[in-house]
Amino acid sequence: MDLTREEESILNGEQGEGRQKAMELVTALGKIYGAEDLIDITSAHLSGASYKTIGDGGLKYLEDMVAGGAKVSVPSTLNPVGMDRTRWKEMHITEHFAEKQLRIIELYGSMGIKTTCSCTPYIGPNVPTLGDHVAWAESSALSFVNSFIGARTNREGGPGALAAAILGKTANYGLHLDENRKPTVVIDADIDGSIFSYSLLGQAVGMAIGSGVPYFRGISPEVEEAKTLSAAMAASGSVALYHAEGVTPEAGNYDVSGLEVIHIGEDELKAAYDKLNTVDDIQLIALGCPHLTEKEMHQIASFLKGKKKVNKDIEIWFCTSAEVRDKCPEDVKIMEEFGPVLADTCMVVAPIEGTFERTGTNSAKAGNYLPTLCSQKAMCRDITKLMELVM
Amino acid sequence: MIFKGRMISSGKAEGTVLKLDEPLSFLGGVDGATGEVRVGNGGNVAGKILVFPKGKGSTVGSFVMYDLMVHGKQPAAVINESAETIVATGAVISSIPMIDSIPSINIFEDGDRVTVDADAGTVEVHDVQYREVVSSAVVMDGRVLILKRPETNRSFPGKWSLVAGKIEEGEKPIEAAKREIKEETQIDVAGSDAVLRPIYVREGNVLFKVYPFLFRVAYADPIINEENEGFEWIEPEELLNRDTVTDTCTVVKQMLG
Repeated sequence: MDLTREEESILNGEQGEGRQKAMELVTALGKIYGAEDLIDITSAHLSGASYKTIGDGGLKYLEDMVAGGAKVSVPSTLNPVGMDRTRWKEMHITEHFAEKQLRIIELYGSMGIKTTCSCTPYIGPNVPTLGDHVAWAESSALSFVNSFIGARTNREGGPGALAAAILGKTANYGLHLDENRKPTVVIDADIDGSIFSYSLLGQAVGMAIGSGVPYFRGISPEVEEAKTLSAAMAASGSVALYHAEGVTPEAGNYDVSGLEVIHIGEDELKAAYDKLNTVDDIQLIALGCPHLTEKEMHQIASFLKGKKKVNKDIEIWFCTSAEVRDKCPEDVKIMEEFGPVLADTCMVVAPIEGTFERTGTNSAKAGNYLPTLCSQKAMCRDITKLMELVM
Repeated sequence: MIFKGRMISSGKAEGTVLKLDEPLSFLGGVDGATGEVRVGNGGNVAGKILVFPKGKGSTVGSFVMYDLMVHGKQPAAVINESAETIVATGAVISSIPMIDSIPSINIFEDGDRVTVDADAGTVEVHDVQYREVVSSAVVMDGRVLILKRPETNRSFPGKWSLVAGKIEEGEKPIEAAKREIKEETQIDVAGSDAVLRPIYVREGNVLFKVYPFLFRVAYADPIINEENEGFEWIEPEELLNRDTVTDTCTVVKQMLG
C-alpha cells in the first residue's frame, strides 16, 4: 500500500503505541481488501458498545486503549448500548451488567466519542454530506448514509471504525470508490408504502440478492422509510448501499439498462413475512429498531392517544435516542402510559434473553436478530397490529 | 521447507500446529478464558500455531481473541488461507502474528513444528520432506483411467490412483505427466486439456505438491508396467466408492465438473 511519510511514521510508532496499533489495523484491513492507499474521513460511527455483545474481552480492550491515551481525531458517535443509562432497572438489568455497561460508555467518552448511543446518529449529531468519506460501523446506519445521503463508507467493524476515528483515515477500497457504487441489480418494487411494507421489502430483497447494490424503481422513501429499508436489507442480506430512482442522490448517475430485474410484490412480501414470524403470542413488544424518529414518536403517540392498555401480560418498550426523547415530551407522556420510552438502547443489544422468550416488533432487522442474538421467538407485524394485542 | 504468504499482523513465533479444517467463528468456537476449542476435534489454541481456512461469524470474535490474550491463552500465531476482517482485527489488536495467502492449509498437519515470520510473510515447516509430483486424469468416453498400486508401494500402498509420478530434476510438470503416462500405460497423449493449480497432499512426514492434468484420448488400450498391478476405466462418480490416493476425487471433480 502507498503510505505517506506521515502515515509511515505512525506505523513505525513515532506517534505512540495507540496510533501505531490503529495504523496496523487500518493497513491490515486495507491489504485484505486491496486498498492502494488511505483516505481522510470526516466522521466515524462506532459499534461494539453493549456489554452483552463485546463482553469482558471488549471491555478490557477499551480499558487498554484508554490507558494507551487513544483519542479520536474526527467527530465520532456511538451505537446503542445494553440498557437505558438511567432507567435500566425497568429493563430487568442486573447491577453487575449495569456497572460494566456504564464503564464502557465512560471509556468511549474519554476517547472523545460522543456517547449519544444511537443507531440513527444521521438524524442527530453526526450528519455526513454528499461525497464525504466516513468510517461507519452499524450496518443500518452506514447503509442509510451511503444510500440516502451519498456519503461513502464500507461496512466497518467496531475496532476498525475506532482505529479509523483515531487516525482520521481509513483504507481506500470498496464503497469509497466510484466503480463499486454502481447498481448491480434492478428491483421493481410493488408495495403499499407503509413503514412496515419497507421492512418486508428490505427483508425480501436481502433474501433475494444477499449482497450487491440494488437500484429500486417504484418507491419513494423519506427518512423513516429509508431507515427501515436500510436496516432490513443489511440484516437479511449484507447490502450496504442502494439507489432509489428519483429519490437518492446518486441514482441519476447510472444507466441501469441491461441489468437483471427482480420484481418484489405480494408473493415475495408474504414469503418475507413468513420468514420473520415464528410465534403467535408474545411477552414484549419492542419498537424502535432503528431508533424512533420524532415523526414516528408523534405518529405512535397520535395512535395511542385516548386508548388504554388492558393486557398486562405484554410489556412494551419504545426505543429512541435521548435527543429525540427530550424533543417530544408530550408524545413521551402518552407513550409512557403503555410502556417506558427508553434511550441509549434497543431490544437487540439489551440482554432481554434473561427476561423474555417471545418478542414482537415491526422491524425486519430486529426480526432477524431476535432469534440469533437474543434467543427469542419473534413476531413481526405492523405497529397497529402489534398494539391491538394489548388494547 | 519455507512457504511464502502475506503479513496481516506483525511478529514472529515458533510452535506446533493446531489445525482446524473448517472456517472458524471465535465467538462460540473458542472459549476466551481457557483457549478450549468447542468445534471440530477440539484442542486448545494456547501457544499453538493455529491454522484454519478463514474466519466467519460474529464480529465480536475479534474481542474473543483479545480475551484470550488477556488470559494468556492466545495462539502463538494464526495462519489462514484468506484473511477476513474479524480474525485480522482480532490478531492485530491482540498482537498475535498472522499471515494469510499461503498456498493451502493442506501443507500442515496437527503437531507439525513450524516457524512463522509474519514480518517476512513466511512460514517454515520443519521435519517434512517435500516432493513435486504430477497426477493425470486420462479420460476416454467420459471414463477415467485409474491404476491400482501394489501393497508393497512406498507411497499410498494398495490404493487406486490417477497416473502419477515424481517430477525429475529439470523436468517441466507437463513433460513429467506425459512421460509417466507413457511409462505406466504405454499411452501417447498430446497437449493437456486442462491444467489446475497445484494442490498439496500430506502423507505422514512427506508433503506432496501435486500438479494435476487432464488428457482426453479418443481410444487407448493401456499396457501397464510393474509400478501398478491393475487398471480400470470408471465413471467419475464411481471414484467415491474406491479407496483412492488422497484428493484424487477432488482433482477429478475440479477437472470434469
